[in-house]
Amino acid sequence: MAGKTIVVTSGKGGVGKTTTVANIGTALAKKGHNVVLIDADIGLRNLDVVMGLENRIVYNLVDIVEGKCKSAQAMIRDRKLSNLHVIPSAQTREKDAVNPAQMKSLCAELTEQFDFVFIDCPAGIERGFKNAIAAADVAIVVTTPEVSAIRDADRVIGLLEANLVKETHLIVNRVNQKMVKKGDMMSVGDIVTLLSVSLLGIIPESEDVVVSTNRGVPLVHDRSSRPGIAYTKVAARLEGEEIPLDEDNGVKLMDRVKRFFMG
Amino acid sequence: MLSAIRRFFKDKNSSEVARERMQFVLMHDRVDLTPDIMEGLKNDILAVFARYMEIDQSSIQVNLEQGKGYTALVSNVHIKKVFRKK
Repeated sequence: MAGKTIVVTSGKGGVGKTTTVANIGTALAKKGHNVVLIDADIGLRNLDVVMGLENRIVYNLVDIVEGKCKSAQAMIRDRKLSNLHVIPSAQTREKDAVNPAQMKSLCAELTEQFDFVFIDCPAGIERGFKNAIAAADVAIVVTTPEVSAIRDADRVIGLLEANLVKETHLIVNRVNQKMVKKGDMMSVGDIVTLLSVSLLGIIPESEDVVVSTNRGVPLVHDRSSRPGIAYTKVAARLEGEEIPLDEDNGVKLMDRVKRFFMG
Repeated sequence: MLSAIRRFFKDKNSSEVARERMQFVLMHDRVDLTPDIMEGLKNDILAVFARYMEIDQSSIQVNLEQGKGYTALVSNVHIKKVFRKK
């Protein structure tokens, strides 16, 4: 079995990389795939708290590459899904505790057992970024409809190309349709045109995200959550399913009918 | 919807859950004590106590507690019997 290694990156911090990794990973595991999520943000560990696994950490990513433990020993099993695992980052180490070659060999080992290996990339484009993208077959770039995030996403897309990552996709996070309609926010169409990269998902802005991270339970477990539904769709697209990309994800049916007739 | 149901069943609201989780996480981050170190510490404390008294091995609790300006290590063990020197 040869799984896929997917890095989730953004350049800018705080756009939702960790939330994206947690939710796409969980959604794919719910569909029956074997999934492992690696937190590559050394020194600023967070994937464990978003997944609600913070008090189960024994070993971490740096312990694996330094040979202090086997990769299986550092994996924390999810609370709900037995086919979902997290490799936490080290909280008190520096980015240079790991190098790109070590990431490559770890991911090569993991793709033998797992269908999907997700890497949660740190913000920035320095050492941590280079480590995180070294082993990736696919990159998912997360942005929000803000100028600073889009500019950084563009820079990152360029760097991914230069580093020969074969496939790059975009997720636009925190889209507020009300603001887009008023003309106060760039539309997803605008952003995709600007960045000229293939679109993988549109995640609506929602208060659910804060509540979900508060509890350490990913959004995709809540079937009524709009961002949760959007992330589940992203997971299905990664499986190869063709699901239309709807900017108005979750907008009332009547509004859609109206728009259909009014053009 | 889900939060409404939770509220109905008097579940803790999520901000409360978050506050408690973060207290735990930050305390551990600051002192850099991993669960395996805590486990080792717990076993060592048990071994020391066992030399002086009979204790209820399963009763031991080792926790970090946050005070104003300090972090304390609080251990609680139930004593069954103290050995007397003859």
